[in-house]
Amino acid sequence: MFDELLAASAAAHGHLCPGQVVGVRLALLGLRLHGLAVPPTLAQLKDLIVYVEMDRCAGDAVAYVTGVRLGRRSLKFVDYGIMAATFVNLRTGRAYRILSTEESRDLAALYAPEETDKVRRQLIAYRRMPDSVLFRVQEVEVQLREVDLPGPTRAKAVCSACGQVVRDGREVRLNGRVLCRPCTGEAYFRRPREIAWPEMNWAPGPLPPLSLENLNPPRLTSASEDDHDQEDSLV
Amino acid sequence: MIKKIPLSEAVGTRLAHDITEIRPGEFKGPAFTKGHLVCEADLCRLQRLGKNHLYVIELAEDEIHENEAAAILAEALAGEGVVWQNNPKEGRINLYAGRDGLLVVDVPALAAFNMVEEVMCATLHSYTLVKQGDLVAGTRAIPLIMKRAVIERAAAIARQHGAVLRVLPLRAARAGIVITGNEVFHGLIPDRFAPILEGKLARLGLESGGVSFAPDDPQLIAGAIRGHLQAGCSLILVTGGMSVDPDDVTRQGIREAGAQEIHYGAAVLPGAMFLCAYIGEVPVLGVPACALHHPVTVLDLVLPRVLAGERVGRRELAFMGHGGLCRHCPECHYPRCAFGK
Repeated sequence: MFDELLAASAAAHGHLCPGQVVGVRLALLGLRLHGLAVPPTLAQLKDLIVYVEMDRCAGDAVAYVTGVRLGRRSLKFVDYGIMAATFVNLRTGRAYRILSTEESRDLAALYAPEETDKVRRQLIAYRRMPDSVLFRVQEVEVQLREVDLPGPTRAKAVCSACGQVVRDGREVRLNGRVLCRPCTGEAYFRRPREIAWPEMNWAPGPLPPLSLENLNPPRLTSASEDDHDQEDSLV
Repeated sequence: MIKKIPLSEAVGTRLAHDITEIRPGEFKGPAFTKGHLVCEADLCRLQRLGKNHLYVIELAEDEIHENEAAAILAEALAGEGVVWQNNPKEGRINLYAGRDGLLVVDVPALAAFNMVEEVMCATLHSYTLVKQGDLVAGTRAIPLIMKRAVIERAAAIARQHGAVLRVLPLRAARAGIVITGNEVFHGLIPDRFAPILEGKLARLGLESGGVSFAPDDPQLIAGAIRGHLQAGCSLILVTGGMSVDPDDVTRQGIREAGAQEIHYGAAVLPGAMFLCAYIGEVPVLGVPACALHHPVTVLDLVLPRVLAGERVGRRELAFMGHGGLCRHCPECHYPRCAFGK
């Protein structure tokens, strides 16, 4: 089972690397700590939120194995640069933060002494190490706000500076004004200026016959209609 | 939680840990032991030991005292043939060989264990021959109190392959010796190998299955080996004809005797031209001529491991390279040296 999962995760990620091995194992441990199936059932998946603390190979593996998705709000990325992920079970309220140990990197040479290539050595060693060596686990408390949960958009605000709609309480209130975060000066970009671009009027065209079903495979229809926020916001 | 109190307020409290006294060259040990009820008469001695404050401990639910921690660690580290007593001294528990045999250490697990902050275990080298009662390891938790979860994780790491430390008994094999070489076979030179090998076998408690002689002829060497097998030998040593000369046909003889797995060459000096083969489950060890000249060679490293049940192959012979160089000291102290460690 592990090898199939690893191969599929590596294919989805683009390559097999030590981070994939660690990520798949980290995800399996997270699911096991909560007593969830691999992969989680649809009902279980609705109660699972995973925070990943790094945008590295292991992050993709965690998302692949657990089935959590950024767009479903079940995958949260917090940019700590730490090889860790926290598995929150909304049903039980329990949360486990699993950290990949730094010492596992130092121990790779001992666990795979027959291999001299660093990457291959890590690939082999990270399979041989038990979870107790590869990870530390903390039980933590995660306070999820209503506006952080999966499901429909809970709130909308309009930036008083640029007019942009801001969803789910991410607006900033400053000196009595409501602002989007870019307008408070903390944007990751600078000097935004509108441009025109070639072929501005391209569109995919009308729906082909019977294509509605293809657009709505069963797994995606479980959310309420309000979930389709893009249409809503275009109105 | 640890609280620090001045010595003047310590009368009537119980010591939270052993207090060590060191008199250089004379004594090192606990002057007071954990749990001792401090009385007026103790204060002067405690002051002489440099103690102006003492700790009073109130353990939280998730905390653990170093003595309890040491016992959990020792329990996890000790595998078959290793014994210990739950009687920590200054927070440390010693682990001893519970029988004669070969100490085998799970080195990766030991390293992983020691990478857990706040715990330690120091051992003899893996593959050291030990006698019952020999000290093989010591363990302790470093701080006076620590989180129980840390200790439990360290214990789990120690148990990843059962236990970090094992003392494996050497099996009681009947060992047959085949001395090859035309000169010895035809009586041109006397054999000096047999008494050396029989001495080594006897020291390991092995029964001699007799000595056979064969000339440099693969068929006759094979015949001598088969003879030992038919006589019930479960270990065979073959000497001579192990180097690169054209007359050296011992390897061929071992193959013709039925060996399917043959590993020739070991990363050990003396002993590079060692051979380790298996006929079924019976190990056949090809002993190079260096064993005639050096008291300790590759044979002394491999023989105990084979007798302890290890399947020695290419990998094991190659990994002996680190530490596989004998220093040829004027007075040999093996196994109390780095050779083969």
